[in-house]
Parts: sequence; structure tokens; C-alpha cells
Amino acid sequence: MKTTNLQPIQTGFIFGAVNVFLVLIGFNAMIGSLLAKALGEQVLTALPPLQFLAAFTGLMGLWSGIAAARKHSRARIAGDVLAGLLSGLAAGAVTFVFCVGIGWLLTNKIDIRNYLTVLSFDFINGVLMRLPPLIGALANLGILAAAGAAGGLLYGFIQSSKVQQMGQQILALTRSTTEKMKRLDHGRRRLALQLVGVAMAGAAVIFLPLNWGSYWNYVAGTVGLYVILGLGLNLIVGLSGQLVLGYIAFFAIGAYTMALLNSPVPHNLMLGFWPALVLGVLLAALAGLLLGLPLMRLRGDYLAIVTLGFGEIIRILLKSDALTDFSGGPRGIQNISGPTLFGRPFNSDIDFMYLIAISVALAAFVYNRLQLSRPGRAWLSIREDETAARACGVNTTRYKLLALALGAAFAGLAGAIYASRNQFTGPEEHSLMASINVLSLIIVGGLGNIPGTILGAFALKGLPEILREFSNYRLLTFGALLVVMMLSRPAGLIPSKRPQYKIPQESEPDESHVEGKNVS
Amino acid sequence: MNETLPISIARKGANVLKYLRPVLGAVILIFIIYRLIQTLLIQETYGPETWTRLVIAGMIIGSVYALIAIGYTLVYGILFMINFAHGEVMMLGAYTCFFVFEALKNIKVGADHSLAFSNAYPVISIIIAFILGMSVSALTGFLLEKVAYRPLRQAPRLVPLISAIGASIFLQNAAQLLFSPQLRDVANPQILARGSGWKILINNSSVTIPYTGVFTFLLSLILLVSLYFIVQKTKFGRAMRAVALDKKTASLMGIDVDKTISLTFLISGALAGAAGVMWGLHNSMVYYFTGFIPGIKAFTAAVLGGIGNLPGAMLGGLFLGIIESVGPAALGIDFQLKDVIAFLLLIVVLTFRPSGLLGEVLAEEKI
Repeated sequence: MKTTNLQPIQTGFIFGAVNVFLVLIGFNAMIGSLLAKALGEQVLTALPPLQFLAAFTGLMGLWSGIAAARKHSRARIAGDVLAGLLSGLAAGAVTFVFCVGIGWLLTNKIDIRNYLTVLSFDFINGVLMRLPPLIGALANLGILAAAGAAGGLLYGFIQSSKVQQMGQQILALTRSTTEKMKRLDHGRRRLALQLVGVAMAGAAVIFLPLNWGSYWNYVAGTVGLYVILGLGLNLIVGLSGQLVLGYIAFFAIGAYTMALLNSPVPHNLMLGFWPALVLGVLLAALAGLLLGLPLMRLRGDYLAIVTLGFGEIIRILLKSDALTDFSGGPRGIQNISGPTLFGRPFNSDIDFMYLIAISVALAAFVYNRLQLSRPGRAWLSIREDETAARACGVNTTRYKLLALALGAAFAGLAGAIYASRNQFTGPEEHSLMASINVLSLIIVGGLGNIPGTILGAFALKGLPEILREFSNYRLLTFGALLVVMMLSRPAGLIPSKRPQYKIPQESEPDESHVEGKNVS
Repeated sequence: MNETLPISIARKGANVLKYLRPVLGAVILIFIIYRLIQTLLIQETYGPETWTRLVIAGMIIGSVYALIAIGYTLVYGILFMINFAHGEVMMLGAYTCFFVFEALKNIKVGADHSLAFSNAYPVISIIIAFILGMSVSALTGFLLEKVAYRPLRQAPRLVPLISAIGASIFLQNAAQLLFSPQLRDVANPQILARGSGWKILINNSSVTIPYTGVFTFLLSLILLVSLYFIVQKTKFGRAMRAVALDKKTASLMGIDVDKTISLTFLISGALAGAAGVMWGLHNSMVYYFTGFIPGIKAFTAAVLGGIGNLPGAMLGGLFLGIIESVGPAALGIDFQLKDVIAFLLLIVVLTFRPSGLLGEVLAEEKI
């Protein structure tokens, strides 16, 4: 018994440390405010009402209890409750020590906000629930322990036979329906389903921008541009397996081509949107080709670091004073003129939204065709094993270059539209963080497939806009999310499926023939 | 129909590359020689005192790069992954340095309680800073491996890299949220005050050799040499090399692979922490983004020297530091572009010597 009781305590200590960390970055106040808003209460100060701060502590305790009970599941509910209680107590002990510490700061009036920004006296008071330090610390401990036990109870209840049976029934039901759906998928029915899906998406794309307001059009447009970027990077990373970390450099080339050709300030060329768009795409592709030529001998990580260096070179060059006359320097380029179509200027976000939607559709179409064609299969073979691919007669150099150039072209397209829509582009928009964002987006969504890319773009670019309170903690959560995703779902939210050969069935010779053609 | 004749196409591609590389090399060489002649012989833009200053600055920053690069190389040699969060490990060391000196400055000692501890006992303060900084960073590295990398050891190679990127972003923002985004100045003890140093006269103008710089350089040399001995002579070092060569066989020989990897992360974290404390003492600018650029530069240095190769990482670090300090002046271009020189150097070296200057210590089949 002794060893088994130690495990929940260990879990509890970890949760206690996490709780202290979250309090130190003010995460509890943010969650508390969110909770208060969700319940329709007005939050006027940075600190939400006390009960919501306590609710955050309770949630942490609940989580720790569930985790401890799950980590070593016992048959009986009592055992789960004990595990939850122990972990809650351990978490409470850590928090207790912390609370005594900040209580000491409060009673001695030592202001350390210069070092730990969150710890204002008001905030400390809130954490201690406006009680004297020792009692406040004890209250925290009590909440955590009680919530831990509750978590254990909850877990035990869910695990107990009745609820589990219900869960299994639901699981069986969903499984059978998905099986039915899969059988439906074959042949013409599948086509019909796809058509309906496309029609619905098309209707949404056509009608939503009109009724959305400019803010949501702007957000959706950004998501769309990131979908294009993600598809381009997917060609390079997802299909051909070349890790490129400086991908945003190609985006920058597209954006700056558009900016330099269509802005009055550095050159006053005013070439017009469409020629600049084509030029931007071509220049980006050319840059991809030129970068690729000397580097094709390099393996994964080396290629990653070299392309990272290339991206930084482009950014620093754009920023430098030496090239201010050419590229606008650190202040970037302003007043980029927008496109005109048949004499009608694009002057609202709705127009751009349509342009972006068409571009996304085009990019998705091209990506899909490439994926299923000869280059796509060549890329997959290179990704799986380059040596074997070469031995099978795949010209690896050529196909790797092709992937890099095409991916760069996608980025050039996105960059050109981006610069034109924002009427501004500057060097800091093209930092390494942006490259990493795109890479994370395709990996979180699922490497190498279109739905995954779209989902990833929504998750990483769209969600943060919706959760505005969250903005301070966005990047922190994003980093933690990346780690957690890699630990739990390394293939992404929507894992890629390769076309597989299905053994032809006697009854449907025609369809199996069609299936056979798709085999890589 | 070309598609059916892959061999001839492959040969054609190879021909293009065969000509491209020497031509590219010749162009770069001619450009460098031309600029060198112009700045050194014709224009004589800078006198010898400037060159001395630049070389000294380059050696100091290079020794810091070398310390961080060792961490990259050790980890890469064993796990074949870029520990992208290594720069953030160093950043935490720099923050520890700031907090230690800030605390010691506020502890007053002496007869009338007017003397700050860090000025009264500077050696002890510096030792405390190093011990704390190195342990904080070592602990961070250790936890990082345990949480973010260990479960992914069998995963495809992209997966741990993304996890490392995530950890890097997390640590940066955690530091920003905890300590505020403000730029911090480390309160050096007086004997290591910034800007003070030995002055030598060259060409009638004085060149300062800063104390902090000399201290940084010597200490990192000591650390690097002792690490080299640990890896080459001790039992643990032998275990580490064995694990780097072949994990399975090493475990059959009775080596605890997990423990060895944990210790490797501890050591590389401690070195990064030392680099962070040195950064704090010498450059003083400590904020949440401190570790990022040095981290990338140090990885560049490790690749330059040949990854997995310890002397290579040390040499690569020093080389990169000196080149990026002297390069802009020698080529007569803007000093803002020193990072461009560093990364261009990387591209050029990898184009002509893909295994780095000293050659990587990796077998092909492990990749």
C-alpha cells in the first residue's frame, strides 16, 4: 500500500508546482474573469471577484484528483477518492508554502513587483481570499484537497460499471455509424456527398463575407492566407519531407514584390496588382530554386538550419539601413495600392475575402492534383527513403527542387495578397516566429493533408482572435499545446491517409478498377 | 517520355551541380578578396586599434557561443535532434544571474551597513551566481528532456523538433509573463564593472580589454577543457560516447541509457547556464528573448564545426564569433549586417563541406 500511495502524492506535487506557476503568471485571474463573464457578471478590475479565483483553485484540484485517480486506477471508488484526496493534499501543501511566502511579503509590505510582475498587494490579497495569511493559505489547501477528493470521486463514478456501460454503448453506436458512412463512401454516393459538401462550403464563402462585418472578414482572410501558406509548406515538408524553417522568406519576397511595385514611396513604379502578383509568385519560386540548387545534398536538420539562416538573412537585409533606399528599411513600405478588376477598385474587406477564397480554392486544387500525380508519388518516396527512391529511378534532386519552388510559389502568392490587403509590409512581419507558426499549423492540423491544414489554420490563427482575454497567454498556451500535441497526437488533429490498394470485390468490378488507378 | 529515362536526367542534374559549385565558390572568393583589398590596402578604413578591438570582442562572444554550441552538439550526438529550447535554457541562466546580483546588492554588510554584499565579497558572489545559474539551467534541461523529449524517442524525427520548438516558445513566454518583458541590467560587482579593463595603447589610441571579457573567455576555456576530459577520460564520458554510437548495444553492455541521456542534458544545461551568467555579466542585457539569437548562432557554430564533434563545436563557436565581429569591417559593409555574414558563412560552409569544418562524428546509417 505504501508505494501505491506515494504515486498520487507525486502527481499532487507536480500539480501544486503547476498551480503556483499559473498563479505567478496571473493565469488564475484570467480564467476567473472568463468564468465570471461566462456567468454574465461584469468584471471591471483586473482581478475578478474572489469566488472565481477560488473556482480556479478548485478546478486545479479537480484536475489533479482526476489525474491521480487515472494514473493508477483502482477497482473501487473509495480507492479513487483516496488517490484524489492525497494528490489534492500534496498540491495543497505546495500551494500552502507558496501562500505563506506571499503572505509574509504582504505583512512586511515588501513590493517585489519589479521582479515578479503579477504580485501586487491587491493580487496577493485576492489569492489569500482577503483572509489573514495563514488562514488564507489553509483555505487554499482545503479547497485543493476537497476538489482533489471530488475529482477522484468523479473519476471513480465515470469508471464505475453503469456509466462505463453507457459509454461503451455510445462508442459502439458511433463506430457502427462510421462504418456505415465508410461503406457509403464508395463510388457515386461519395461523389454526391463531396458535391454537397463543396456546394455548402461555396455558399458559406459567398454569403458569409457579406454579413460578417469587416473585422471577421479580416480574421477569416488572415486564416485563408495561412491556409495557402500551410499548403505550400505542406508540399515541402509534408509531401517531400524536406524540413524548411525559413519558409516565411518566400512570403516576404512575394509581399515585397507587391509592395515595391505598387507603392509610391521608394520607387513609384505603380505597375498594378495583377502583374505584380504574377511577378511575386515567379520571384518566390525562383528564390526557392536558387536556394535549393546548392543545398540539395543536405540532410534534414542541416537543411532546416540553413533555410532558417536564409530566412533571417532576408529579414535582416530588408531591415538594414544599407538597403533603406531600395526596400524602405525598418519602417517598411506603406500605401500599397490595391487591385482593380474591370475598372472597379477593391476597396473593402469583402472584395479581398473573395479574392482570398478563390486563391485558397486554387491552391487546394493544385495541391490535390500534385499530390495524386507523378510528382506527388515521387515526393512521398523521397520522404520515406531518399536512397531507395533514387535507386528506384526517381530523380531526387529534380523533385526536391520542384517541391521547394512550388512551395515557395504558394508563399509568394499569399505574401503578395497579404501586402496588398494590409497596404503595408515591414521586415518584422517576416520574422522566424512567423515561419514557426506556419510549420506548427500544418503539424497541429495533420501533416500532408488539406483538411488538416485548414483546421490547423483555424485553430492557430482564428481561435486566438475569438478568445481575446486570452491574448497575453496566447503564445504560452501555443507552446505548451505544441508539446502536448506531439506527446499525445503526433500525427496531428486529422492524420493523413495514404490511398491504399483495396482487394477488388467480385460484385463491383468497375469500381475496384477505378480504385486501383489511384494507388500510388 | 523523359520520365522513363531517369538515369540520363540524373546525370544531367549532377552535371549542373558539378559546375555550379566551383563557379559559386570562385565568385564568392573573388568578391571577398576584392573587398579585402579595398578595405585593407586601398582605403585603409580602420587602423590596427580597431582590428584589435574587433578581434577581442569576437573572441569573447565566440567563447560564449562555444559553450552553448557544446550543448547542441552533445544532445545532437546522442539523440539526433536539434534541442531548439537550448537557447531558452541559457536565458534562464542569465535571469538567475540578474536575480542573484540583484539580491546580493540589496544585502548590506560592513560596520555601518552601507556596503553591498556583492561588492564586499565579489568572488563569493560570482561563485554563488555561477553555481545557482548553472543549477537552474541544468535542472531546466533535465526537466525539458524528461517532459518533452523522452516520450518521443521512438517518434519520427520531425516530432521531437516540433516539441522542442513548442518548449522554446513556452519557456520564452513563461519568462516574459513571470518577469515582465522589461530589459534588465545586471548589477555587476565593482571589480567586474562593465567598461573597465586593461588599457593598451595601439597607434596612440587606447584599446580596452574588458575584465568581464577576459573572465568570460578564460572561464569558458576552463569549462570546455574540463568537459573534454570528462567526455574522454571518465567512465560517464565513455558511457556517453557508447550511447551516442549505438544505444541498443550500449544498453546490452550494462549502460543505463536513460540515465546517460539525462546526465547529458544536465551537463549541457549547466554549460548553457554558465554561458547565460557570462552573458549577464558581460553584455548585461537580460530579457526573455536573450537566449534566442545566441541559441541559433550557437547551433550554427555547432554545424560549422561538424555536429557531434566536441572540438568542432568549440572551434566553430570561436570562429563564428570572430568572423561575425571582424567580417563586416573587413568586407567594408554595414555592421548591422553581421548576422547576415554569420548565416551566409553557414550556407557557404555547408555547400562546400556538408559535414562541417572538422567533420561530423556520425555514421550515415543512423540518420
